[in-house]
Amino acid sequence: MSDYSIWVLEYATVEKFPFSVMMYGPQHQGTRKLPYAYALLKGKGETILIDTGYDHVNFGKTLADAYGVSNYHGPREVLAECGVAPEDVTTVLVTHAHFDHMGAIEHFPNAKFYLQKRELDKWVWALTLGNEYRFLVGGGDPADIVKAVDAAKEGRMILVDGDREDVLPGIDVHLAEDTHTYGSMYVTIRNDGARDSADKWIFAGDLIYTYDNLTGLDPEEPQIVPIGLAVGSQHNLIFSSARMLDSVGGEARRVIPVHEDRLHKAFPSRLTDAGLQVVEIALADGETSRVG
Amino acid sequence: MESAVGNGIDQAVLNYTAAARRVQDLLQQVLTQVAGYSLMLMTCDRPAARPEGSILLACQAAERAHDALRALHVPSKAAHHHHHLCKAAEATRWAFAAAETCAAADASEGDRDTLTRALWAATEHLRATARLLPGFEMVDFGQACCAVHAQAAIAARAE
Repeated sequence: MSDYSIWVLEYATVEKFPFSVMMYGPQHQGTRKLPYAYALLKGKGETILIDTGYDHVNFGKTLADAYGVSNYHGPREVLAECGVAPEDVTTVLVTHAHFDHMGAIEHFPNAKFYLQKRELDKWVWALTLGNEYRFLVGGGDPADIVKAVDAAKEGRMILVDGDREDVLPGIDVHLAEDTHTYGSMYVTIRNDGARDSADKWIFAGDLIYTYDNLTGLDPEEPQIVPIGLAVGSQHNLIFSSARMLDSVGGEARRVIPVHEDRLHKAFPSRLTDAGLQVVEIALADGETSRVG
Repeated sequence: MESAVGNGIDQAVLNYTAAARRVQDLLQQVLTQVAGYSLMLMTCDRPAARPEGSILLACQAAERAHDALRALHVPSKAAHHHHHLCKAAEATRWAFAAAETCAAADASEGDRDTLTRALWAATEHLRATARLLPGFEMVDFGQACCAVHAQAAIAARAE
């Protein structure tokens, strides 16, 4: 019995993403497909997104031309695959402040947004260091903060300071500081509502890009291997991955990397007419499957 | 909107671009900082949580941007771009003033409206500069996770 239906919805794709960025270490080992995606949860009277996707109007052409991002579709079209409109979304949990995770706030006019306070504090601080430190603020869009101010003025932006249990019933958020970004956040869904849940799902944001970050590449000798892109440290990425794994009793498939192309093989899924994957992680009582 | 690229870029425009890019970087930095400060003002109850040190440095950066803007040599082909850069700087200063007003205990809804209008004005003028000349994008994709594969993407298209 699940409290929330959970889907991962692809909204764009990078066909050839270097494996060495998805996973620290394997240089010159080619590329993998990297879907851009967000998660949709429905249940307990809430419609929840984990991340928003990006602002195609302003960046779409640049991303397509220079970086090979293809097949972008906006949230109205993507969410419709699960019978949801952007206006229906009540809450957005923003895992970190990069443009592809926080760049479409304006599309959800009725949602409350949760972001780690540290993510904002340290971004603002890092900007005082000077242009030679711009690596620390790469991927952030000033316009996203301006959009967040708009939401805050309407009482729809909540800055979370660290871990917080039950931001919504059965949903906890956790700070993974100084990892992929200064204030990255991962999300736990206790889908049976129990504190000591036997049915947990974790959304990892960009703390991992692939299941291989949790298992390594050698099944005989499993290991945690961090992603290749950290503002913080690989050390912190490893230990945040360990925390997530430990929380689900070591069952790696329950720690969801939305950029993992193999999700659609690990769970029931459907390819839409637009060529985007809809992956069904869980189905709440009374909810219709969107992949059947 | 007329693009300087469409008319061909001459050396004067290239010189302008190199110098103006630094101003744009400063203005984007300042916009993010004043927007971040504004977000703190609207979401944090405890004054101690506000980044006063950062905002002081941002004010200084805004002054440097203003000075650098006045020092720019602007060829006619870049006049439109320069216009938006000036307007962005003006709006950013306006946003600082509005944020200070909003920091007061008796700040009104109207004060907060003024602040968001100023922030959006700065954002839109900066976006306009990005449309007019190459190299003025507001996001540093070169350091973003999607972007480290740019060469791979270019090579893949060439295949």
